[in-house]
Amino acid sequence: MEMKPVVELKNLSKTIGKKKIIDNLNLSLYPGQITGFLGPNGAGKTTTIRMMVGLMEPSGGDIVIDGKLLADDFEVGLSKVGVIVENPEMYKFMSGYKNLLHFARMHDGVTKTRIEEVINQVGMQNRIHEKVSTYSLGMRQRLGLAQAILHRPKFLILDEPTNGLDPAGIREFRTYLKMIAEKEGVSVFVSSHMLSEIELMCDRIAVIQNGKLVDIREMSETQESHYYIEIFPTETAESLLKAEGFAVEAHNDGFIIKAEKTQIPGLVQQIAANEMQLFAVHPHRKTLEDQFLEMTGGGQIAEAHTK
Amino acid sequence: MLRLIQNEWMKLWSKKGTWVMTGLLVLAILGMFGLTKWVNTMNNSEEQDWKMSVQNELTYVKEDLNNPELVKSEKERIEGKEKVLEYRLANSIEPLSETGREKMIMGSSGIGSIAVLLTVIVAAGIVASEFTQGSIKMLLSRPVKRWKILTSKYVTVILFGILLMLVGFIVSILGAFIFFQSGNGQELVWNGKEVVEVSIWGKGLYMLLLSFANVFVTATFAFMIGSVFRSSSLAIGLSLFIYFMGSTLVMLLARYEIVKYIVFTHMDLTIYESDFRIVEGITMPFSLAVLAVYIVIFLFISYTTFIKRDITA
Repeated sequence: MEMKPVVELKNLSKTIGKKKIIDNLNLSLYPGQITGFLGPNGAGKTTTIRMMVGLMEPSGGDIVIDGKLLADDFEVGLSKVGVIVENPEMYKFMSGYKNLLHFARMHDGVTKTRIEEVINQVGMQNRIHEKVSTYSLGMRQRLGLAQAILHRPKFLILDEPTNGLDPAGIREFRTYLKMIAEKEGVSVFVSSHMLSEIELMCDRIAVIQNGKLVDIREMSETQESHYYIEIFPTETAESLLKAEGFAVEAHNDGFIIKAEKTQIPGLVQQIAANEMQLFAVHPHRKTLEDQFLEMTGGGQIAEAHTK
Repeated sequence: MLRLIQNEWMKLWSKKGTWVMTGLLVLAILGMFGLTKWVNTMNNSEEQDWKMSVQNELTYVKEDLNNPELVKSEKERIEGKEKVLEYRLANSIEPLSETGREKMIMGSSGIGSIAVLLTVIVAAGIVASEFTQGSIKMLLSRPVKRWKILTSKYVTVILFGILLMLVGFIVSILGAFIFFQSGNGQELVWNGKEVVEVSIWGKGLYMLLLSFANVFVTATFAFMIGSVFRSSSLAIGLSLFIYFMGSTLVMLLARYEIVKYIVFTHMDLTIYESDFRIVEGITMPFSLAVLAVYIVIFLFISYTTFIKRDITA
């Protein structure tokens, strides 16, 4: 990636008491990219996010936002960040509009017209003047998004953003995130437990476990060419595939082979020429869940849960 | 900073409780006046001749002056009183009637104790409630330094206190005009050289200002407890306990030198306008200095804990 990162975490650490919650985390986030932040419970996702938005002080390392150290200039750094930390806890005794006005006053240059624009964007125009205590969880999430984008941040951090949204809402939300990432070059950082959601939304995933970054992957990379192929008789098929130079792995009744799309027709002809019975050939995609468990090791999630 | 204060002000008045409290203040003052009026009409005792009572008071004052243990400042004060009483008799100027309109306006410092109660509630909750609502996460993940946010909250508390005092003063003036008759008397004071007339409005405002010291200090204390322990009930409880127990403690410790450096001794500045003092040998500037030191300590504790705190919950 040639682009300059919007956010860089350099050797970020956090120690609470004697326990290292975050251990030398290094991560860069780029404009226009949606990065998913995954990890088992207690891995340190929320702590990392809280350090990035100034709610917690790092014990070591640096947070660089748009080329400047957050520790040096907190106000300049955070003016480029929009945040939804977990459930957006708004002031329930005020109307949605007053809540937005409240947060708008804490940023420079957010005009009344901009507030109206954002209200329309999140589809809240009909109930914006009602008290937040009358809103459903989904509406509060929308309001939460609205306050996060008021000041047109370059970098958007979302912690469990789709919690409480209905399927249509989730989809709308996803489309919106993709839109601002692509059109406005916003860098988005989403932490979520909903793997299927992350899979649909993100360009890249970062996996954290026990305070350490386990892996960073481009989603396109994970969708590389694997094919599932089912042939009979199995033994001769396996030797044929190996002879053709494919990496073969047994899967259900057939095999998974690593192959380029262009190789497939040739392979099928070969199989036909050998008079074997071909039942199925289709592209195989490992789900994010498979990959996630592979990366974190299923057992360790259970360990983290029992703590 | 102005926008932050605007925010806090908006949040404060969006809560029903604030309106209820202000309403209570108005009702309490009017109620107090009504009660006084009612008691006055009940025991409509025979009017005592004012010259007689002034003469009596003068005799007591002269006796007091003969006390050889009197401190210098105390002696001056009583001598001033003597001059005023003698002036009244010589020029036949009646003192203000205890039940007259003027006395009611001047004695409006009673607003102070109600205002303390209500301001403490606001001061205790203004930081603590952000934590209990969870909105602190939204508030502090903004491009605004924490000390600015805390300052806006503190300023709002003090503004609320001032507002309550002013509302109280206006209501008590109205009450005084509605419930009480104007008397013939005149308020006099010894300014060191001669006896002069005192404006009831000026005196009333001055008393209000003096009783505001109490609101200021107690509210600052509640603000500190609220921001350190993040619990408004603890802050309200502790502040009111201290507010009510303070004078008892002062009385217990009155014999010792240390009492001069305890905040409670100085919280009620109206003592300098009255005849009764628990602790001898303190002056207004000294009291103001002690109060200032305590306020600085309270605020220092609030700021350091608020700025350092990791928001985890």
